[in-house]
Amino acid sequence: METEQDEVAQDELGPEIALDKDPFQLTVEDVYDISHIVGQDLLKISREARGVSSLVSDLQFKIVRVLEMLEALVNQSSLSAEELKMERDNLKAEVERLLKDGPQMGVGPDKMVIDLTDPNRPRFTLQELRDVLQERNKLKVKLLVAQDELQCYKSGIIPSPDDQIVTLENESMITCSPRENESKEKSTVKSLFSFKQGKQT
Amino acid sequence: MAKKTYDLLFKLLLIGDSGVGKTCVLFRFSDDAFNTTFISTIGIDFKIKTVELQGKKIKLQIWDTAGQERFHTITTSYYRGAMGIMLVYDITNAKSFENISKWLRNIDEHANEDVERMLLGNKCDMEDKRVVPKAKGEQIAREHGIRFFETSAKANVNIEKAFLTLAEDILRKTPVKEPNSENVDISSGGGVTGWKSKCC
Repeated sequence: METEQDEVAQDELGPEIALDKDPFQLTVEDVYDISHIVGQDLLKISREARGVSSLVSDLQFKIVRVLEMLEALVNQSSLSAEELKMERDNLKAEVERLLKDGPQMGVGPDKMVIDLTDPNRPRFTLQELRDVLQERNKLKVKLLVAQDELQCYKSGIIPSPDDQIVTLENESMITCSPRENESKEKSTVKSLFSFKQGKQT
Repeated sequence: MAKKTYDLLFKLLLIGDSGVGKTCVLFRFSDDAFNTTFISTIGIDFKIKTVELQGKKIKLQIWDTAGQERFHTITTSYYRGAMGIMLVYDITNAKSFENISKWLRNIDEHANEDVERMLLGNKCDMEDKRVVPKAKGEQIAREHGIRFFETSAKANVNIEKAFLTLAEDILRKTPVKEPNSENVDISSGGGVTGWKSKCC
């Protein structure tokens, strides 16, 4: 209802209001209204004063030209305003999308960006470091124990009587023999299931 | 039965801010040497030194931790097995002194309740750069009922004394055992499975 009333009101006011408008608020329709008003005025003049009709028509061409220029300018400015509005909306949508996806891409708070081309970039997890350190320390303990033991033998704290050597030999035999069996078994299994090898490994 | 190379095994731990000289303190004690180049400890390392106290051969397994925050989850898992902890600060670094309370809290949270604690103010050879007065170190140690030494790994001041004192304090609490019944398991927390050093 309201819009209808507005339209009626504008119709009643006539196209003359276009001349009162702020130039930056002008639409193409306003330019056409102005063109209409000026045309009507020129028509009146040429009717009443026959002698000046050629002058008036000259003026008419110039005015038409000015109005065409105005049309082009208004058209363009409203177009670029429209373009800027569209661009603004696109950027808004882009920002919202980035803010939503941000944390997953590792750019959120408490996140780190890793340069994959940096040869010195972080690569290993804390657990991996923990494992490596534990293994290192374990081996270090073993080395120290072995060094101690060696020192004992060197300094003659432990004599190496024959029975000890025998024990060592026995132990080595005990530890050796199951391995031999195992390897024999393995090779038998291997030969039996050799066709499966490719799949398994 | 073969003879052992030691009677008791104590596990000690060095903690404190990065760069206060924990590794240097340990290196001075274990190898009687000093190196000025700073190489940040990666996670955790250890050294062994055998000392003789009250006629007993005591093997000290001393764990050296990285002071850097990024290694804390690794280093704190080593607190539990420690029988003695040395908390080191740098007398030329106020921040390292301020952080003592943080390290003491770590001990409360992660170490055994009966762990022997000791405070060391290292780099005491650098008197011209001192920012922490000796009295302040003594005061905080007194407040927490722990021993305190000012040390210098570089000038070899109080290093051996500190370690031997800590070992003595632990020895005092250790129930007397027969020489061959020693079964000190120092592996807990450290991931080192068993120090079954039955030499020979």
